[in-house]
Amino acid sequence: MAIASTFLGGAKGRLLAASIPFRFFGTALLFHALAWATLLWAAPALPDFRGGLGPLLAAVHLLTLGVLVMTAIGASLQLLPVATRQAVAPGRWPYDAVWGLFSAGVLALTGGMALVMPALLLAGALLLALALLGYLALLARNLHGAKGMGVVLVHGWAAALSLLVLLGSGLSLAGAYAGVSGLPRPGALGLHVTSAAYGFMGLLVMGFGYILVPMFALADNPSPRWSRLSVGLALAALGLALLSALAWLPAASLGVGIGLGALALGIHVALMLQALRTGMRRNLGASFVLVRIGWAALLASLAVALARESGALPVLGASLFGLLLLGGLLTLLLGVLSRIVPFLASMHAAAGARRAPTPSSLTAQRPLDIHFYCHLAAMSGLLLAVLVQSAWLVRASALVGLAGAVAFGVFFVIAWRRMAQVASAPALPSGAKA
Amino acid sequence: MNFSRQTSHTLHEEHRANLDLLGRAEQALARAPRGDGPREPDLIKLVVALARSLEQDIDRHFGFEEKELFPRMSEAGDGEIAMLLTEEHDAIRDVAQELLPLTRAAAAGTLDGAGWDALKRGALELVERQVAHIQKEEMALLPLLEDLLDDETDRQLAFDYAAG
Repeated sequence: MAIASTFLGGAKGRLLAASIPFRFFGTALLFHALAWATLLWAAPALPDFRGGLGPLLAAVHLLTLGVLVMTAIGASLQLLPVATRQAVAPGRWPYDAVWGLFSAGVLALTGGMALVMPALLLAGALLLALALLGYLALLARNLHGAKGMGVVLVHGWAAALSLLVLLGSGLSLAGAYAGVSGLPRPGALGLHVTSAAYGFMGLLVMGFGYILVPMFALADNPSPRWSRLSVGLALAALGLALLSALAWLPAASLGVGIGLGALALGIHVALMLQALRTGMRRNLGASFVLVRIGWAALLASLAVALARESGALPVLGASLFGLLLLGGLLTLLLGVLSRIVPFLASMHAAAGARRAPTPSSLTAQRPLDIHFYCHLAAMSGLLLAVLVQSAWLVRASALVGLAGAVAFGVFFVIAWRRMAQVASAPALPSGAKA
Repeated sequence: MNFSRQTSHTLHEEHRANLDLLGRAEQALARAPRGDGPREPDLIKLVVALARSLEQDIDRHFGFEEKELFPRMSEAGDGEIAMLLTEEHDAIRDVAQELLPLTRAAAAGTLDGAGWDALKRGALELVERQVAHIQKEEMALLPLLEDLLDDETDRQLAFDYAAG
């Protein structure tokens, strides 16, 4: 329980200004709504997507960069200093610069993709590269010198390396659209998808799982031996997949890599489920239903990848795989975010107050419930749409998803406003009664 | 969670029993109707049990931690955690001060609809604060005690707590 104890014990003194992580989360939720709206526009392309510029690629990158990476940046910049008992980087400007460059980069890149304007796309990619290099510097600072969190740190460093591969392959792909030669496209695409989804996001999700799941479930830390085995297999899987993408290994090694990745994720999920089952706090509500569904979808994505690799799913494979992978990451992340936002808000609102607000008093439950049902209906609808090849079903699902995204945004705005109200009230002297 | 120190083990067992009661109270109160109307006898029994547990927690459990354990934590360089836990004790005491008269009225059958609504609000707040507090103690305080206490101090503290 050492990880959770450092997290809980030192948390109050190592918080960034509330506006820093909340700005990343708030922007991610704006992009969340924009991603669903863009999918509405791109609906006919989804059931049989084979790549190329257009609104569907824009929707995918609004989701991956705008929602997933934006949230991961905000969460990691806040959680790592707390968990590793380090002072946060002084000054606001590094965070402001990363946020500003990254937001502008996502808008330019996805605008370039949607409107088929390669120059705009390339400009966006360059802005994103600058932002991500700045983020990498902050991440490396937080990881460097952290003690006693071996498994989490391995995940963190490996995610940072994956981010570099993601950056290089992304720039190569963006450059190719603008006529700048780089890596061969199939290899760059393989590197990009693997390093982005399983490398950067997957490893961060797994690493933070070792902190957050035992903390919320009041459980012992998962077995170090099995955790190390899981991350070791994940790194081997990533290595095989990346070398296969570069054609430095025979094509068959990709299948082995996918199998090892599935094993790594399977062990991780089993450890997390054991923590949830044996924890002293069993009922963790709808947020952890989303987390469990996210884990299941990620495992299913690897099963589909394996089936594709063996030639069993040649037609529907790409869309189905992408949907399970991105839908799984999104579902998991929204589940975690619905717990982290009120938790962080209550910690910020607590400063100087004798009776700090509880997370639930900052939570608007109805919008969260609406989001829960809309999100699950939208993801199920999309799965069905891909299987029956229906653009109308994609549109209907995107509309429902958009409604859910708006509801989640309302939950976020209410949490922020309630936190700001409490924080702006004059602090009572110790012993005084409100 | 297995603790080798008797003190940690005793506090852990109290936490476990408390979490069980808090979980049952949370579910029963969340289902309870608002305003006037008859109340299930089981709900009243649960509210009374919650009040009794709360009184014991504040007098005995909190008092023991504040007098015997938190100063030791501060001396060992973990004053930040001790301060955080003390602040949470204060907040729980505030909620308890509002809640206990309402639970007594509920037990006596003299609580009106508005009183029941206030009791439900307060009890749910108490449950949330207690669960979060137990979470921190299980993950921060009890593991620290494993290293902080020697055999003799542990035996003496466990004896004093049992006798107190």
